[in-house]
Amino acid sequence: MIDLLTTRYTYVLFAALLVVGLYIVIASSNLVKKVIGLNIFQTAIFLFFVSAAYIEGGASPVIHGEGGPYASPLPQVIVLTAIVVGVALTAVALALVVRIYSEYGTLDEQTLREVRADE
Amino acid sequence: MTDVVADPRPLLAVLASALAIALIIASHRRPNIREAWSVVAAVTKFAIIASMLPGVLDGTEYRWSMGDLVGGIEFALRADALGMIFATLASLLWIFTAFYATGYMRGLDEHAQTRFFAAFAASLSTAVGVAFAENLVTIFVFYELLSVATYPLVAHDEDPEARAAGRKYVAYTFFGGGVLVLAGTALVFVLTGSTTFGQTGAALANADPALAKAAFALLATGFGVKAGLMPLHSWLPDAMVAPTPVSGLLHAVAVVKSGVFGIARLVLEVYGPERIAQFGLGLPLAVVAAFTLTAASVIALRQDRLKRRLAYSTVSQLSYIVLGLALVGPALSDSQALKYVIWGGLLHIPAHAFMKLTLFFCAGFIHVETHTDYISEMDGIGKRMPLTMVAFAVASAGMAGIPLVAGFVSKWFLLIGSVQADQAIFAVVLLISGVLNIAYFWPIVYGAFFESHDEADSKPLVEGRFGGGPAEENVAADGGHEDGDHADNHHHGGPGPDGWERVGWTGQEGSWLMLGPILLIASGAVVLGLIPYEVGFLELIELVAEEVSA
Amino acid sequence: MSDLLLGLLIVLPLLGSTLSLGLGLVRERVGWWVATLVLAVEAGLASWVAYVIYVGGDRLVHVLGGETFGRKSITVGGETTNFTVGIELVGDALSGLVVVLVAGVALAALAYMRRAGPRGNAFYTVYLIMTGGLMGVALTGDLFNLFVFLEIVGLATYALIAAGRGPEAAVASLKYLVVGTTGASMYLIGVGYVFLETGALNMVDVSRSLAGDAPWFDGALYSEPLVVAAFGFVAVGLATKSAIFPLHTWQPGAYAEAPDAVTVYISALASTSAAYAFARITWLVFTPEFFAVNRRLLEVVLLLAGASVVAGSVIAAMQQRLKRTFAYSSVAQFGLVFLGICVAVHPAATEEATKFAVYGTVIHLIGHAVIKGGLFATAGALAAGEGARTLSEIAGLARRRPFISGSLTVLGLSLVGVPPSVGFVGKWYIGVGAVGANLWPVVVVIFASTVLSLLYIAQILEKLYFTPEATEVDLQDVEPIAADGGRSLSYGMAGVGVTAAVVAVALGFGGAQLASLLDPVWRAVVDSAPEVIA
Repeated sequence: MIDLLTTRYTYVLFAALLVVGLYIVIASSNLVKKVIGLNIFQTAIFLFFVSAAYIEGGASPVIHGEGGPYASPLPQVIVLTAIVVGVALTAVALALVVRIYSEYGTLDEQTLREVRADE
Repeated sequence: MTDVVADPRPLLAVLASALAIALIIASHRRPNIREAWSVVAAVTKFAIIASMLPGVLDGTEYRWSMGDLVGGIEFALRADALGMIFATLASLLWIFTAFYATGYMRGLDEHAQTRFFAAFAASLSTAVGVAFAENLVTIFVFYELLSVATYPLVAHDEDPEARAAGRKYVAYTFFGGGVLVLAGTALVFVLTGSTTFGQTGAALANADPALAKAAFALLATGFGVKAGLMPLHSWLPDAMVAPTPVSGLLHAVAVVKSGVFGIARLVLEVYGPERIAQFGLGLPLAVVAAFTLTAASVIALRQDRLKRRLAYSTVSQLSYIVLGLALVGPALSDSQALKYVIWGGLLHIPAHAFMKLTLFFCAGFIHVETHTDYISEMDGIGKRMPLTMVAFAVASAGMAGIPLVAGFVSKWFLLIGSVQADQAIFAVVLLISGVLNIAYFWPIVYGAFFESHDEADSKPLVEGRFGGGPAEENVAADGGHEDGDHADNHHHGGPGPDGWERVGWTGQEGSWLMLGPILLIASGAVVLGLIPYEVGFLELIELVAEEVSA
Repeated sequence: MSDLLLGLLIVLPLLGSTLSLGLGLVRERVGWWVATLVLAVEAGLASWVAYVIYVGGDRLVHVLGGETFGRKSITVGGETTNFTVGIELVGDALSGLVVVLVAGVALAALAYMRRAGPRGNAFYTVYLIMTGGLMGVALTGDLFNLFVFLEIVGLATYALIAAGRGPEAAVASLKYLVVGTTGASMYLIGVGYVFLETGALNMVDVSRSLAGDAPWFDGALYSEPLVVAAFGFVAVGLATKSAIFPLHTWQPGAYAEAPDAVTVYISALASTSAAYAFARITWLVFTPEFFAVNRRLLEVVLLLAGASVVAGSVIAAMQQRLKRTFAYSSVAQFGLVFLGICVAVHPAATEEATKFAVYGTVIHLIGHAVIKGGLFATAGALAAGEGARTLSEIAGLARRRPFISGSLTVLGLSLVGVPPSVGFVGKWYIGVGAVGANLWPVVVVIFASTVLSLLYIAQILEKLYFTPEATEVDLQDVEPIAADGGRSLSYGMAGVGVTAAVVAVALGFGGAQLASLLDPVWRAVVDSAPEVIA
């Protein structure tokens, strides 16, 4: 356990962030918080990729086994792309939230359900 | 022995009525032309099929393939002896039904006649497809399309009762076809690598017996749904809400016989008598058939609504055919017995068709002319509709197996076949059923001619505690018939206040469009009883039997 | 030369989308014309690619980025091997059909949109982006690139759904966004795990590495926990995107609330592309050898897929609104597709069983897209023409709308699996595959699905044809549906349904030919080969 925390603490952090993010997505009834949760969830994955690149023993493309350790450039590129995708998603999500708020006047999922049921 | 010739006629026979669908819909504004298309298509179809008859009798088979439908399985039609029996029968009787249906639909001033005639043509198209299908997948295609095509006919009335019957019909037939037959077909295909009739037997003999038996059970049950095998028969009596031409041609001939025909293909060609005997499949099927034919007869006794009684009679009679086919297993060791059970079973296909179509047409004619649906209201109706009731009497005599009518010949072969196969118990069942047939048909004939409405005997089986079928508490027979209220026509049947009016014996009882077909088909039943060989059916059946035992 | 087409297929719609936006500054309502032009060219390219793949028997590969990238050979410890640098686009016998499908459906949906809307250049911009994304999903040979394209498709879909006028659409879209993004992220985790284990993202390379072909691996990696977990994440992610029960919750709302024209498009392609991706990864990246080691894992997916078939159909039968019925029906149909995918790689499957399962999966995937797109088109046409959106409102409409009702009937029966139609062909192959693999519970589910789909289709047909029409008053209360407020139908709107019906039946007759196109695919699956080579 201690070993895991000292050598692979980024993975532990990844798992923790992942769970926190997912929990917010599921448990929070506030739509904006859901979007925030989604962001945390994705950030966890980015962290995972980045840290994977720096771990000794982690495989890197093209060059293998000749000395090392290497920091693989690929994960960084991947994460960069994934961040862009994530930002775009957040933008769309927030746009939708704004639209929902202007129509229903609430951001709370529970209230939203009641308002829609009334109509 | 048989040579196969590439010939598009089997396909043309299917397409003849398929083309008629388009023509019927196109001429929906002109009823006369629309009905003419039905007749033209029926005659064309019969002509095409009849033109193949001499060749088939000489041992030629006409085959037309439309390429692979799914990998390794062709979409192919082949006119062989067994298929010709069914195709000739269905297309011949359609000619009469086309006239009769015109009279019936106009007599009742029914709605949605275009849909009716279009769906009718579609049903016949697919029925012939079933007859000529060369393999299990092709037969499945037409078997399913037949279910689809007949659904509009069952739900024709568009009232809650018809919709409920339609729902039940679709549920049963799709469970039988789309689930059981398809699963069985897939199993046979995986076990043998082929679904072509007559080419799967050898591979099945070496297949895993459990799977081979399972495939047989799936296919037999799947086809058994349409063949009205108990306990999967209950869609058939409900489907009687359909207009009578439908009940007659489809639910006594084309649809139900497609189920029986499927069983015939399954027993005789997919498995073949050797495998039936090897896996011991004949006896269980025979027991189901024997149970169905007795139980359905007993239930028929209790039905007061004529069409329902006929429906249960159909359920019972169909099982004669299945019984004959099932006995090929036990009869295998005795070539004579094998021949007789096949003859008896297959000959009952046309025999029952002619007789039951007559009976249904009579019932429909009575309905159109007098709005009478209940047997308890029919006492003395012989005065009003003499010729009709004579035809009815002839056909019901045949049903009971009285000689000179078609039903006798097939039953006779079945009887001696089952005795020779050392299965005398089934002979006893057949005899009991014959007695029951008399018990449920004779009172109608007797009442029609020898009783009058006022002094009819009570009918304890129908009225009593155990009788009456699904209690329909509207047997009170008062008042004549009102015009214009057809949706609700079981409440005003029966004779007028002064009893039945007397009508002469020269056909004034109603439209000749309907009376003509009735008399012709009744004569057909007699002809078939007198010279079954000369009219071709028995000759075809002989060919089938020879091929099967070869 | 023709490998450049692969890149063009993706780039063309993306360029077109900017064109639509740019010309929109000059002229209004130019979007539809731009989209039509671009997608017509796209359809031509797609046919060309299909021709090269299926008639020429080629496997097209195009590496993005030019000379620097591509397949490079390296020598490690005396052994020479090769690895791909950069992103590969692959046009093979599996992706070719999907490319044609996407191009065809995109063009057909435009015919529907001409009258039904939504209008506006921005809409067609997004529409073209989505088409480009779908092409990317179909063609990419790279696991991470697949994620990007999935997200492009996802983003475009969220926007298209929200193009509906009502706020309901925004709520449904946000729900889809949250669930869909979570699903895509799950997929990304799976890709990360694979990457960590193999150091590769190219599908072919990953597949080889997993098999232990590269010299620096001691043997196959199939039993590595990270690889097993990777498949789990990928499966969950793509099952979410394909709306497999119980991960389907986003889907009915999204389909039902989206504008009718958008539903036609996304119902035909969005889930389809995810299911296609799952098939590709399962068959060609993880390969049957992986599942021979991890049979349990496969059986979990089979279980979920089976549950999806049953639950989707039953819930569909309980719906009142036509669009919701069809939406839940998709849950059931994708259950069938997933069953087929898993049967093909099941250790118990014989060579024949794998072959038929591959046939069935792809044909059902394509058939369902055609059928479901057509069904939504007919539902939309009924709504636009008669204001009928619920079961009780469509009562008796068959008389007034014979062609639309007729198409709905044909498509519905095809979905049930009545032959001759593509629905039957797909079901038959998947069923035969399952029988051949002796997976009896799966066999039961597949064949029972006929009756299950009949539950909801028969209900609709009965209302349409055999129930007297509802009173006129009810119809007046319904809001006008078409985007321009009219209740008019264009030939395009009716035509899409009719065309789909014709195609569904035609493909039913051409089932054997369609299947024979897939021969290289099943051979690759049987051999656990990473490349589909004719």
